[in-house]
Amino acid sequence: MIATSANPISRSPDRLISLLLLPVALIALGPMLRLLGEGFGIGSELTLVHATEVLSRPSTLTALQHSLVTAGAGTVLSIVIGSVFAFVVALTDIRAKAALVFCLMIPMMIPPQITALAWMQATGPSSVLLKTLGIAPPLGSPQPLYSAWGISLLLGIQHASIIFLTLRAGLRMIPGDLVEAARISGARGWRVWAQIVLPLSLPSLAAGAAMTFVTALGNFGIPAMLGIPARYSTLPTLIYQRLVGMGQSVLAEVAVLALLIGVVAIAGVLAGRLFLRRRAYGLVGLASQPLSLSLGRKRPFVELFLWGFILVTLVVPLLALVSTSLIPAYGVPLTPDTATLKAWVEVLFNQPVTRRAYANSLLLASSAAVILMAVCIPLAWLMQRRPTQLTRVIDALVDLPYALPGVVLAISCILAFIRLPFGITLYGTLTIILLAYLSRFLVVMLRPVQAAIGQLDPAMEEAAASAGARLGRRLFDIVLPLSAPAAAAGAILVFLTAVNELTVSALLWTGGTETLGVVIFNLEDSGDTVMASALAASIVAVVIALMAIVQLSSSRLPKGTVPWQG
Amino acid sequence: MAGLTFCNVSKLYAGTPALDGIDAEIAKGEFVALLGPSGCGKTTLLRLTAGFEVPDKGRVALGGRVLAEGNTLVPPEERNIGIVFQSYALWPHKSVAGNVAYPLEVRGLAAAERKRRVAEALDLTGLSAFADRAPAQLSGGQRQRVALARCLVADPQAVLLDEPLANLDLALRGAMQEAFAAFHRRTGATMVYVTHDQTEALALADRVAVMEKGRIRQFAAPEALYDRPQDCFVAGFVGDGAVVSVDRAGSPVDGKVVVHALGQEIEARGHGTTPTHICIRPEQVRVDADGPITARVATCTYQGGRFRLSLETPAATLIAHAPERASIGEAMRLSLHSPWAFCDPAGLPAKDDGHA
Repeated sequence: MIATSANPISRSPDRLISLLLLPVALIALGPMLRLLGEGFGIGSELTLVHATEVLSRPSTLTALQHSLVTAGAGTVLSIVIGSVFAFVVALTDIRAKAALVFCLMIPMMIPPQITALAWMQATGPSSVLLKTLGIAPPLGSPQPLYSAWGISLLLGIQHASIIFLTLRAGLRMIPGDLVEAARISGARGWRVWAQIVLPLSLPSLAAGAAMTFVTALGNFGIPAMLGIPARYSTLPTLIYQRLVGMGQSVLAEVAVLALLIGVVAIAGVLAGRLFLRRRAYGLVGLASQPLSLSLGRKRPFVELFLWGFILVTLVVPLLALVSTSLIPAYGVPLTPDTATLKAWVEVLFNQPVTRRAYANSLLLASSAAVILMAVCIPLAWLMQRRPTQLTRVIDALVDLPYALPGVVLAISCILAFIRLPFGITLYGTLTIILLAYLSRFLVVMLRPVQAAIGQLDPAMEEAAASAGARLGRRLFDIVLPLSAPAAAAGAILVFLTAVNELTVSALLWTGGTETLGVVIFNLEDSGDTVMASALAASIVAVVIALMAIVQLSSSRLPKGTVPWQG
Repeated sequence: MAGLTFCNVSKLYAGTPALDGIDAEIAKGEFVALLGPSGCGKTTLLRLTAGFEVPDKGRVALGGRVLAEGNTLVPPEERNIGIVFQSYALWPHKSVAGNVAYPLEVRGLAAAERKRRVAEALDLTGLSAFADRAPAQLSGGQRQRVALARCLVADPQAVLLDEPLANLDLALRGAMQEAFAAFHRRTGATMVYVTHDQTEALALADRVAVMEKGRIRQFAAPEALYDRPQDCFVAGFVGDGAVVSVDRAGSPVDGKVVVHALGQEIEARGHGTTPTHICIRPEQVRVDADGPITARVATCTYQGGRFRLSLETPAATLIAHAPERASIGEAMRLSLHSPWAFCDPAGLPAKDDGHA
């Protein structure tokens, strides 16, 4: 074949693969652009007057204030927890770091409404665990978590691992010789930490804090479970309640609210960037020698403290959840005689709604994982080997659907897919949830695959080209097998996140398309706490098993694939 | 096997020429080295031959078939050229035999024929015992041989080698050099070998193209480069010695010319136009009590069996070999024996201390 261009990039197979960019851009970024258009009043009945009216309502302002308070307080708590763990794990010689990090990551990987449910089962007068142990508060006393503080506490615990991961990554970049230089200068212990390590790690702490704030702001599961019973609305729960209560007639109104969250989230990110720019230091030196401070005789106490924290924030709530799932009916105490697997059998095998939810969630999660895997390998290859203006733009923007709160994406998808040409609507189908998942989780799959392809020696492919293999064949024979481990890890992560997903599906589901996240929420909402607990406990088991698979295979994966192993 | 032709090949990178009017003819079965400092364009020329880069101007042809010229461009897959990369680029997910078999698989050869030819290629490179190993389980030299076997199994029309020994240690390099030479003798392949190591280039190649700033400065047999360099760059880059500019010179007659340099009348070898410089190799400098040139020892380094002296004269620094150690600052008298006189096309003033 002789091409008619002097540029090998425009050879025809390459041009074909570039066509991939179009659907990717459309599905990943289209809905977001559609929402932006709505905000500026393009192609909709929304006017500025209407937007001003929605924004000046007392309910909007209260929800905004609640969102800021709970996300802010939750972020502060996450900073405290995450940075204690990060400093200790990254800087000292405590043992069993991998196990500790794994346990710290679990709260982030299990769905927030399950976290909330588990904590509700560990506190309050009706806690099965506390009643069994005989330490439950008297009947009639309030559930302490049904409050702004309860929401903030759980948000703080749920997102502590974001701070932990970014800060630990930052600490690993600090050259060990900077600390050695401080010690040679006579500084010791706390002084080294406060005057050398802390200032140098502030930028990554700020970046993590901004990310945590945005994630907490978008969290729907925790304020929904804890706030709705207490009539404490945040912006995501307000959108949910308006849309569920009033239906599509309030679409224009919730679009304004979604834009409001988007604006607050972007403001949070920009504040973090601004801080970074003012406090960024160029670190010179080799980070090859990681910092390692000996804790000496204090080590067992530090370890005891950290594991105690894991016990209180992870093990106790999960135990409470399991306890509740084992009783025959709510209110019955858990004893060896009353313990039963009835609720488990019911949710896993008998109830049509929970079985359907399992089927829907597994189908959605595995379809999203498989489709994204098929798309991301050629996409990442294209971005790495044939970068153009367009691939750079996509690269910069694919983070958006994942970083912005889920309600924003959900509203975007409703707007984008409710009225398609030829009178087609995707509203109320599994397809709309799948499209939303593809948009939201593209980046979860893309980044590990990009890392793997970035580490591939281009000569591997050139050798195959010299051997006579054309582009398609090279992608299949060389790039695919070599990026497969990362793609598999990415697929498991997508699967995990998609199974956990509530925020997007809470707004997009209808009868027949409910997901696991939605059903747990609905069961608890309608008082079926025992069944909700059994379903939640079964999901936690699946999540931990999948995480364990990723953890065990991490040594065979390229660096940067497993998010909790920097 | 086929010969390679480059005709006025040019390539720009961000406005700077990486290759600037390359004209060269490589005969069928010839072993050619591209030698030059880093950034001279030798790797670009190699990648352009393989098809990974596209010339902005000029023509590349292989055995009469145009590979690249104007709008004609044969993609790498269709060139039937083998290449051995500096990093070897062995596919880690395939065994040694799998790596070697791949070019045949792509060409759709029958399994039996494939097996026979893989066995043959492995035998030729001495790898038969390692067929089922993974590349990660091999030593550097063995990986090198797998890369060689992989590029030869498909019977390419030319074999390109991109600094193939750069990642090997010194002892292994010697052994691999011999392996390459033996290999070339057995297969008669047209081979183009990129290196910045002149010992390697001079030892292996039939002819060496010395490159600098995107141009071929001289393309000749190794002994010609050493004995009769065409310009100051080649004289200074290839081999040890000094390049000294000439004050006055006559016209060469019968390969001889008298030049005036270092304040002396010197009888030199030369051809063609009136020379501007002379290249003085260490063998051409003798420590001689009656010599006409006075010099002072600047450095003295032991090179195994002999000493290398750099000797300062008022006009230039010369290099000589001596059997005994000399003390720094010691005065000596020297005589010169038929150095090579040439006319540097650029007419640039010579470096006074030209060595490799």
